[in-house]
Amino acid sequence: MNELEDIKLQAFLKKLELDSPKPDFTVRVMNKIFEESNALERIKSEKILGKGFWIFMILFVVLFAAIFILYNTGAQPDSQLPNLLPEVSQGIGEKYDSFFSKLAGAPLAIGGILAAFSVLLFLDRIIISNSKIFA
Amino acid sequence: MRINILVVICNRPTIITSKEQMEQKDDIYYIEKVTAGQTNYFSYIVERYQDIVFSIALKVLKNREDAEEMAQESFIKAYKSLHTFKGTAKFSTWLYRITYNNCISEVRKRKIHYTSTDEVEVKDETTEINLDGIPEENRAKCIQEALRKLPEEEYTLVLLYYFEEQSIEEISKVTNLSESNTKVKLYRARKKLYTILNEMMKDELYTIL
Repeated sequence: MNELEDIKLQAFLKKLELDSPKPDFTVRVMNKIFEESNALERIKSEKILGKGFWIFMILFVVLFAAIFILYNTGAQPDSQLPNLLPEVSQGIGEKYDSFFSKLAGAPLAIGGILAAFSVLLFLDRIIISNSKIFA
Repeated sequence: MRINILVVICNRPTIITSKEQMEQKDDIYYIEKVTAGQTNYFSYIVERYQDIVFSIALKVLKNREDAEEMAQESFIKAYKSLHTFKGTAKFSTWLYRITYNNCISEVRKRKIHYTSTDEVEVKDETTEINLDGIPEENRAKCIQEALRKLPEEEYTLVLLYYFEEQSIEEISKVTNLSESNTKVKLYRARKKLYTILNEMMKDELYTIL
């Protein structure tokens, strides 16, 4: 190909005016960028674990602590329920004991699987609720 | 000529400057400002590259509205991944690559099949052309028309090589082609452009006669 013509072609092409978008293009792009960065900031400032989670967690801890304290201080004998319904309370007590003895006998691997499953569910929830950040 | 336009974007004053004034500063200067948190400076980059980004998008998508949307998306994508830009290549190469890939994947997603101008037959013997033979008043119009008739890939190659003065290596990065393939395709694109110009000149001659 003729090199001189090629140089000429380049010179002509350099003079050409390219197609332009609408005059407010830059403004629109910047508006969109600001909108997106504001949304991102809002997501970042949001707490990963909501109020509901913490209420549920506190209730669970309080309940667990109450059961533990009552069990250790021997509060059950003072209760009137076993005296009123001796057979029912005995049955529930036996089932309760057998459930926990079975649970204690379960292999450690099952515990591990359950724990890992819970962690994965938790991570999944975090990722879904912050999909914009992870995207 | 210096033109400063003060606009308010999302309640933030942003200065949009004329292109001549912007070229005084390197892209890296604006990129550093943006990555440091001064988002307003990205408007300089948009202003500088909007025409070429829009032209590539328009050529691939063949529709002004779609092209504007795609150009906008490309700039937003570039802004979001600006922290990944390492500065080893030119910023423009990196931006054109984002634009080109965006447009191509949009075309694939929509499964658009264009009646390409690929049917322009490239004749080995008749590709030489004397550009001075085209009347000066029609020259720009003719070349623009010939460029429009090129298929999207070849148009992008010609635009980047001649208009943007990008190297073969840079163009191969934008188009994901190997360097040798880029060279071959660019050669073919050039030939095709000359063939189209030849045809146009013949047509013009017949009209006169």
